[in-house]
Amino acid sequence: MKFPFKTIVNSEDETRLIAEKFAEKIKSGDIIALSGNLGTGKTFFVKSIAQCFDISNVTSPTFAIVNTYNGKLKINHFDFYRIKKIEELYDIGFEEYLFNNSSITIIEWAEMFEEILPENIFRIEILHLENSKREIRISKK
Amino acid sequence: MTILGLESSCDETSVSIIRDGEILSNLISSQHFHLKYGGVVPELSSRAHLQMISPLFKKALEEANIEKEEIDLVSATAGPGLIGALLVGLNFGKALSYSLNKPFIAVNHIEGHIFSCFLMEEKPEYPILSLVVSGGHTLLLLVKDDLNIVKLGSTIDDAAGEAFDKVAKMIGLGYPGGPKVQEYSEKGNPKAIKFPVANLKGEYDFSFSGLKTSVLRYIQKEYPILEKITEDEKSNIAASFQDAVVKALSNNVKKAILNYEIKTLSVVGGVAANKAIRNKLIQLAKKFNKKIVIPDIEFCGDNAAMIAYRAGKLFENNIISDLNAVAFPALPKNAFIAN
Repeated sequence: MKFPFKTIVNSEDETRLIAEKFAEKIKSGDIIALSGNLGTGKTFFVKSIAQCFDISNVTSPTFAIVNTYNGKLKINHFDFYRIKKIEELYDIGFEEYLFNNSSITIIEWAEMFEEILPENIFRIEILHLENSKREIRISKK
Repeated sequence: MTILGLESSCDETSVSIIRDGEILSNLISSQHFHLKYGGVVPELSSRAHLQMISPLFKKALEEANIEKEEIDLVSATAGPGLIGALLVGLNFGKALSYSLNKPFIAVNHIEGHIFSCFLMEEKPEYPILSLVVSGGHTLLLLVKDDLNIVKLGSTIDDAAGEAFDKVAKMIGLGYPGGPKVQEYSEKGNPKAIKFPVANLKGEYDFSFSGLKTSVLRYIQKEYPILEKITEDEKSNIAASFQDAVVKALSNNVKKAILNYEIKTLSVVGGVAANKAIRNKLIQLAKKFNKKIVIPDIEFCGDNAAMIAYRAGKLFENNIISDLNAVAFPALPKNAFIAN
């Protein structure tokens, strides 16, 4: 997989394959901003990445704001959906999670607080086209 | 025995004092400080917990009409939850335990919810089939006794409460989603739209992500201009969605009733405040001739009385924590016995 990457998938299985290929490219310390509307399959994408690192307990972090999973490496799985202002992110120690080379950080609804994201991170966008058809764009900037 | 409970795992700060099973005080920040915040949802922050815990503690002592020296046991939620938020209650509790020279117990928040049904006058009898439904958790557990809890299943994606909040937002019902969906459901037809109930590999697992998406797709298809959706149609969507959630939950509960020897059925957690879910479980209990114990609404959401109660049970079983007890953000894999 080379970045920027763009493809169209027609099923969950195809999405999983893309996630698996992407997982080969990431390592501890990486930050991944994941955007896409409600119901596009963001959590499913994270689940598929996590499975590559022997993590099988991925659930939606909407309520908890962050879920941490331990497998071959550690993943911090954030969701900004319920965050109302940036101070809340500072308060929960979001930056402590970011500048920490011992885990991968994946953030759903990252675009809600663009200003808190560092540069040179992976950006994944999932667009719902129709039925189970989706466009997946991945870049590094 | 007088027990202090402290809860600060997520949005709510709560302090409670119970004595021999009787609740002397149970203060919850959002209810207590409602006026101060002008009805606005308080921000999610450890600072907010920090500002509230001490005044709440003082008020809890006042309401219970006791001095802090009368506390025999101190307890606090250690997890799961937001780490910064958890640390506020946990450290407050540890410091108090140290200064009063009284034992300390770190409590698992989910166990607090499970045992909240014991706060009711009608006492449950073991084994209990316990459905835990909240904004962040959906679990089905077999509670054999005070200490042996078997996890039968849990959500593989979204929690039930999260689905309520997101659907409420989609049709513009506002916050908090759960009560709004319930309110609209009462005026709607639950059979109006057929939303899917997930069928999963794990016999007792749940999934609400597909349901959430199918509600979204339905709205996108039928109402390209969301403003055109009428109140009646909102009611039908809410009722049909709620009906699908009730089915998903009750299907697994029913299966478990048939496959396990249980005496009591219980539903706990924030979403247990939902009338349709309560009624369905009451109906199931009646049908299968089981006892049903559901906490009053005040004990469904996060509260410290359930933490104090759970600590009391652990103490009876000679389990206490030391002051090195750490906060845990996620439910540990060995938190419950695997099925």
